[in-house]
Amino acid sequence: MASKSANTKIWIYLSVLIISFCMIAPVYILIKISFSEPHEVLTQHPTFLIHDVTFKHWKQVFESGNLWEPLRKSFTVASLTMLLALAIVTPASYAISRLNKKAKYIFILTLFFTKMFPVVGIALPISVTFLKWNLLDTDIGLVLAHLIGQLPFMAWILVATFSAIPFDLEESAAIDGASRMQTLSKVILPVAMQGIAVAALYVWLNSWNEFTYALYLSLSTKTMPLQIYYYVERGGFFQQAAYATILAIPVVLITFILQRYLKSDYLGGAVKG
Amino acid sequence: MLNYLKKYNLEILFLLPLSLYILGFTMIPITKSIMMGFQDNITGQWTLSVYEYLFSKPDFMRSIWNTIGVTIIGLTIQISLGLFVAIVLKQTFKGKSIIRALVLMPMGIPTLVSGVTLLYVFGTQGYLNELLYRIGLIEVPINWTSGNIQSLFVIAIADTWKVLPIVVLLLLAGLESISKDVYEASSIDGASKWHDFRYVTLPLLKPAITMTVILRAVDSFRIFELPQILVGKSVPFLSTYAYEEYAYNNLSASGAASTVLLVLILIFVMLYIKFVDKGEGLSSGK
Repeated sequence: MASKSANTKIWIYLSVLIISFCMIAPVYILIKISFSEPHEVLTQHPTFLIHDVTFKHWKQVFESGNLWEPLRKSFTVASLTMLLALAIVTPASYAISRLNKKAKYIFILTLFFTKMFPVVGIALPISVTFLKWNLLDTDIGLVLAHLIGQLPFMAWILVATFSAIPFDLEESAAIDGASRMQTLSKVILPVAMQGIAVAALYVWLNSWNEFTYALYLSLSTKTMPLQIYYYVERGGFFQQAAYATILAIPVVLITFILQRYLKSDYLGGAVKG
Repeated sequence: MLNYLKKYNLEILFLLPLSLYILGFTMIPITKSIMMGFQDNITGQWTLSVYEYLFSKPDFMRSIWNTIGVTIIGLTIQISLGLFVAIVLKQTFKGKSIIRALVLMPMGIPTLVSGVTLLYVFGTQGYLNELLYRIGLIEVPINWTSGNIQSLFVIAIADTWKVLPIVVLLLLAGLESISKDVYEASSIDGASKWHDFRYVTLPLLKPAITMTVILRAVDSFRIFELPQILVGKSVPFLSTYAYEEYAYNNLSASGAASTVLLVLILIFVMLYIKFVDKGEGLSSGK
């Protein structure tokens, strides 16, 4: 490896160039389209560069009256999902991480197994039940549905986080006379805080992006992803680009923050379609 | 028993909400979904007629083959491309951290948005056709999403773009866990680069590859958003087919279709572990 020939080096840089191009090009196209005049895009030969910048699609989106309600709904649902997931999963993951090896393995396997179920198979009976419970079209119904996928996912991450905290830490706190709840809140939680925060942000993102349950459970009020889908179905070329960009903004921001925590051990459960 | 409860009361209290939720909102619904498939939509009688109806429908049969096809195509592209990118990223070169961030970028794009974006790339008047036209490879634009095998490729590629960061991260972690000594030993033996890759890297990377293949395959079988956006109804997949039946209020058929999908996923995971992995990768992996 010490003496790398010039030839290899060229190959590496060429590969890097092609890879980067493929990663960036679609994003560029999306943003370009949202700022382009229709005649640049809706033609046999779309242009690659932006010639006439226009803000009219963005103006339409903001003035259409179809933006704020989906934004509010997506934001509320994602935040509530995150908070509820935190409340349910944090104690559970701690408990799982402190179980004996066999019980822990069974729990983790069950969590993994629930990920294998097709979402359409779960969404179907859920929507039938929610219809009876009058939960269709409500924020809380969607939160309950989003939790289905997010609880196992978050538990997967947090069990790893809690497992990494050594037992000794608790024991020494117990010797110092702390009760179990005190040990938890004063010793364990602060140490686990970073993992918990990362997991919570991921849950928020997943819920913000979620499409399938929203499609099954919404009749009139849409979330942002549904709003995009609505324009895709109607062929609203420019609206969908603008909505998609808006949907992506918080995701890009949060991913940027999360990037340094992106380690593959967090990803075991993070792989999402 | 009571003693046991007393000793572990805190643990049990902590585990209860999560366990109940998974039971009530995953296990019971999925059982219901399976049962629905064996019941008549209107009378609720137990019957196999729903399955007879499904398997006589050409669209449903197509959806099975499309689902399997897109998984095979997607996995092949994702693992080979992911491996390639991971190996490139493992090299030392200038601007490596920037490139790493770039490769991870699609991860920060919602699946739905990537679907919309790739609609612009693969549309008949899209950018891929334009690029091919300008290079001089084609005269007439190709209809990529018309419903032939090329549509499967389009969806597989769209999926690849979206998930490549995750595949790369998983494989890169595997690559980085291989110690340098192994390569030094093989270079003393005079092994070529290809030999290194074939006889050192690949076998040692097997746990990481197993993990990636299983995780990706499960998601790929369930693929929903991308086909829903990119090809609509013209190319059915098991998930989108199940949704179509639901949208037409054929709840039984929808339940049956998702049961077929579940069975498909289970068969794949078992086959993979039995024949390809032979119990090696999963036991040493997670």
